[in-house]
Amino acid sequence: MEETLIRNNYSEKEKNDIFNGEFLPHINSMYNFGFRLTLDRDDAKDLVQDTYLKAYRFIESFQKGTNAKAWLFRILKNSFINDYRKKTKEPSKVDYQEVETYYNSEDVNRQITPDLRVESLKDMIGDEISNALNSLDVDFRTVIILCDLEGFKYEEMAKILDIPIGTVRSRLHRARNLLKEKLSEYAKSMGYKNTEL
Amino acid sequence: MTPPHNPFIQADGKKPTCMEMLQVIIDGEASSEQQEYFKNHMNRCLPCFKSYDLDMAIKRLLKTKCCGGDAPTDLVDQIKMQISQNSPG
Repeated sequence: MEETLIRNNYSEKEKNDIFNGEFLPHINSMYNFGFRLTLDRDDAKDLVQDTYLKAYRFIESFQKGTNAKAWLFRILKNSFINDYRKKTKEPSKVDYQEVETYYNSEDVNRQITPDLRVESLKDMIGDEISNALNSLDVDFRTVIILCDLEGFKYEEMAKILDIPIGTVRSRLHRARNLLKEKLSEYAKSMGYKNTEL
Repeated sequence: MTPPHNPFIQADGKKPTCMEMLQVIIDGEASSEQQEYFKNHMNRCLPCFKSYDLDMAIKRLLKTKCCGGDAPTDLVDQIKMQISQNSPG
């Protein structure tokens, strides 16, 4: 990602106005993102707190009135990778070469989960979808959180994750197929046997 | 009769798959020309027709079931306290 290194000389009042008016309104989304990444409420709290402290420390590199939510999400994601993941020594399990190869292959148009139907989703309460999402590998989970929960655009996701837009699309595609696999397992366990899509 | 121009075709000329087109549509990233093209395509493509409903339903379910929950009430106060402690003066 190309960085534009601009430093804004904000007064203390301006800093506080930006922090209170542009950063803090995203606290609930930030906490949800932190929780979905760490899967632990205390860790999520620490991660969000750490992110906001960093945001304040580097507030002069934030351009007032621009996309604060994306800026904050990027800091949280980086804190998660650089601090939390190292601390917990969680290895990254995703082989992106494999993902890219898959996406460029003929298999991409094949429906992986032909037994998942809209009707079966209607009986799912929150836990099934939430557990299915949480069971995905963190990098796949992240793109679904950013896109489907938080409504970020591909371009914003590319900036938050420091990856090309093409990779955002392919990772999202793979993530959704994996999520459908999980959901179809739940559907089967709930007694849906119709294998037609 | 020549088939209608596919507005999903990228500059490199690569023809998009159904799933690639569908993803752009459900994520709200399609231009109005692409939306119109896909609407016509979906009427002729049963897998796209069925996948559209399913993918939209999953997207809605994620949004409604996985977004809830406010941050702990003391979190904002703790952050503000940390900032004031770390601020000079």
